[in-house]
Amino acid sequence: MTGGFALRRVDKAYGDLVVLSGVTAEFAPARAHVLMGPSGAGKTTLLRLLMGLEEPDVGLVERPGSARLAATFQEDRLLDGLTATANIRAPHGRMRGAELAAFLARERAALASVGLPVDARPVRELSGGQRRRVSILRCALADADALFFDEPLKGMDDATVGRVMAFLLPEMEGRTVFWVTHDERELAWFPRAERWHVAGGTTRR
Amino acid sequence: MQGEKNLGSQGGGRFRAWASRLAAVAFWLAVWELAARAIDLKIILVGPSQVLVRLAELVATGEFWASVALSFGRIALGFLAALLLGAALAALASRWRAVRELVAPVMGAVKAVPVASFVILVLLWVSSRELSIVIAFLMALPVVYTNVLEGIEQTDPTLVEMAEVFGIRGWERVRLVYASQVLPYARAAISLGLGLSWKAGIAAEVIGLPDFTIGEHLYDAKVYLDTPSLFAWTVAIVALSALVEWVVSHGMAAAQARWEARP
Repeated sequence: MTGGFALRRVDKAYGDLVVLSGVTAEFAPARAHVLMGPSGAGKTTLLRLLMGLEEPDVGLVERPGSARLAATFQEDRLLDGLTATANIRAPHGRMRGAELAAFLARERAALASVGLPVDARPVRELSGGQRRRVSILRCALADADALFFDEPLKGMDDATVGRVMAFLLPEMEGRTVFWVTHDERELAWFPRAERWHVAGGTTRR
Repeated sequence: MQGEKNLGSQGGGRFRAWASRLAAVAFWLAVWELAARAIDLKIILVGPSQVLVRLAELVATGEFWASVALSFGRIALGFLAALLLGAALAALASRWRAVRELVAPVMGAVKAVPVASFVILVLLWVSSRELSIVIAFLMALPVVYTNVLEGIEQTDPTLVEMAEVFGIRGWERVRLVYASQVLPYARAAISLGLGLSWKAGIAAEVIGLPDFTIGEHLYDAKVYLDTPSLFAWTVAIVALSALVEWVVSHGMAAAQARWEARP
């Protein structure tokens, strides 16, 4: 089962601040959905509702029960004491022997393709930009049906964006992807994606 | 160049700091030696040189090592039990508020009651041989519990949320998310708890007098007014404590570094 996410007449407020009001949206499975909108428009809240990290005040959030999720949050949310490869492997449970060797090879190839060093340093010793890419790889290499990206390319230079997207696009193929951004230029990477505009408490295509 | 210069002056600074520390220690050793010679009464005070001689005599005997092994083994057993139970209780208390509230008065009482009261009470329950195990356990338990609970509470909630989204659950979550966050607290608890257990365990032996233990030797030294032995055993206790602390803290640091460097 993949995809099948939907919001039905959802209201969400934090205290007096109304973030979403009467939002209804159906997200087709196995496709990319780009969520655009100004800062503070509720894009992150929308993602959090879809991931099940928040409950709506009113309305319904539908999620396919068996969907496995992966996310690149706005913050890196890495396990600081572990290496990049151990971080990327964290969602996969314990691996041993040949399985571990095969996955490590995949991880190392992924790290190299986005321009990250493969070494024994814990990620707390990496730069902010490097940590960001580790966080993106953890999401992309997870065995997940739905991937959530919250402004993953923020602050990245163009050359790095090119390398990261060249790696990411094939990985996203056939999975339900939610891609939050407020940078119009990123739309160019998703010619066939469904575009959603989040603003003024509503979400429309 | 700037860096090298700084490094050089840092090295020099460290050397000076060590030199002045050693000088201070040497000064007090000299004062101690002079005072012992001035008093010239072994029962009241023995100088460091005499203590060293007595310690050398003790170390050469099998009984010394047997006593050290026995006392250390029992105290370590009590401490390990406290480590396991304290960590388990902290995990339960972080999960269920009722457990925390149930455990709180017990930990408070264990912390507040003087060791001597515990020793006498515990002697009524168990034989003197098990006494130091129980006392070491009681001393370390609240320290381990409090620190580990604090560590769990301080775990970054955004990491817990990340684990939730990725479906990292159960033991994997403990191993990957909680363990690394709790580790600094656990290390503090271990080095603090070890010291407490060691000192209180030997104090308990002095009262309970189990055979062939360090505590018994200290008691004998008191009874026979054998001040050189009292000092020599005390030096041995302090040295052992420092050694164990060093081995454990370096062992934990090495284990952590190995775990962190895993590919």
